[in-house]
Amino acid sequence: MLPAQPKAPMPTLAAAQPSQFAVENVDFAYPGHAVFRGLSLRAQPGEFLVLLGPSGCGKTTLLNLLAGFMAPASGRVLLDDSPVRPEHPALGYVFQSPQLFPWLSALENVRFGLRMAGRGSEAEQRALAIEHLALVGLADAADKLPHQLSGGMQQRVALARTLALQPGVLLMDEPFAALDAITRIKLNEETLRIWSQLRQTVVFITHDIDEALFLADRILVLAPAPGGIAAEFDIALPRPRAAATRQLAQFAHYRQQVSACIADLQLQPLAA
Amino acid sequence: MTSVNHRWPRWLRPGWGWLSLPALLLGWIVVASRFPAYVLPPPWDVAAEGWRWLQQGKLGEQLWASLGRELAGFVAATIAAMAVGTLAGLYKGFRDFVTPLNGLFMAIPPVAWAPLTLIIFGIGNLAIIVVIFIAAVFPMTTTIQEGVAAIQIGAIRAARTLGANRRQLLWHVYLPASLPALTAALRIGFSQAWRALVAAEMIGASRGIGWMVAMGGQVGNSAQVLLGIALIGVMAWLAESLLFRRLDQHYQAWRPS
Repeated sequence: MLPAQPKAPMPTLAAAQPSQFAVENVDFAYPGHAVFRGLSLRAQPGEFLVLLGPSGCGKTTLLNLLAGFMAPASGRVLLDDSPVRPEHPALGYVFQSPQLFPWLSALENVRFGLRMAGRGSEAEQRALAIEHLALVGLADAADKLPHQLSGGMQQRVALARTLALQPGVLLMDEPFAALDAITRIKLNEETLRIWSQLRQTVVFITHDIDEALFLADRILVLAPAPGGIAAEFDIALPRPRAAATRQLAQFAHYRQQVSACIADLQLQPLAA
Repeated sequence: MTSVNHRWPRWLRPGWGWLSLPALLLGWIVVASRFPAYVLPPPWDVAAEGWRWLQQGKLGEQLWASLGRELAGFVAATIAAMAVGTLAGLYKGFRDFVTPLNGLFMAIPPVAWAPLTLIIFGIGNLAIIVVIFIAAVFPMTTTIQEGVAAIQIGAIRAARTLGANRRQLLWHVYLPASLPALTAALRIGFSQAWRALVAAEMIGASRGIGWMVAMGGQVGNSAQVLLGIALIGVMAWLAESLLFRRLDQHYQAWRPS
């Protein structure tokens, strides 16, 4: 180890104020095909909310609405009481595929948002970026280009890139769906570890029941199109959660309930 | 550091590639030995011809004439292709409009325009530069357009959620993401321009490497023709290996495959 050097004050690793996120009575349709009718939901500040959607329920459309990439036909999506838009500073979005910029190193990817916002000096931005890479366990990969990283590592860089802007709400669009089962379980645990540190509001979309149960404070089951929320489950599993959580009798009980609910939905779609 | 350090740069390392030029010269010597030197001169006669042109101070004149025209046409084509290619890449309607025209013009050998440009602009540099421009601009536009159009909507959305405004999107996402296509376009455009240049000079110039080849043919000086051909090849090779291939390889690392 090098002898300790006098250090510049480091930017702090902290969440912004956790945001409130609300969908109010949203209708959305593609020509000739209604996707959502009267969809409402609310994520409390600091809550880990999972939207569990069987295939064909319009998950992608929902995320586009939640982030403001598309506007609802009627109703509102509110982030801290103002209409959502992709550039909203409190909004963090982790995509299904990492969407890293391939020409930038991991560090520069994480620094991107800080650079766009002109927040702090270059040295401060780099320090904060390194800190967030360390948070996802990738401080060593700072100088690597995305194609030199595995899929799981890329997704962790993407998470660090989003967290570096200290968003009040984190929208996560099946972020681990493309990864192998082992990596996926590991990243679920990492997500919880980071969330317990930063405590921002999370809205996490998945079609995987086990993933939903493991992560959620609350699960909303989406109904097939044209639909809204079909059911709601409070998941009172103890935190911190770890591998052993999946072995609990309570976990199995919840899984049975949720599975049965989804099976019902697929047998008898809500009347149009 | 991923790769093993070598003492020599890659292009200096031993390999079969080193045999190709000697083999060409050997083949040339063997074939030339079956003909009189005024029909097919051996390499040393061509070298002597080159020395004669150099001593008379006429070689540089031809090279500069050709290079100047090449550069003028190529730079103009690059600017036009960047403007049209970028717009066509960004806007689908414009792309649909431009694509058939591009395809049409690319199917026409550029030198076919030379007689027309000579009529319109008269004998001189401009007529030739216009032919070079036509040769380079269409393949370059297509390459840039495809590069810009291929930029993933996901990367744009990611940048937006990270707070990038419209100007920042152009500068920090669209530009770097289209650099590989741009360098590929430069490479293609330069070589297309060079081919067209030589052809056009053979028809309507009083200087330049193409003129040198054409004149050699008219006065029956085979050595002069071969000297011109060798210069055309060497110049193209230099531009390709010293400039464009390096530029291109710089972006290979992360180019989407």
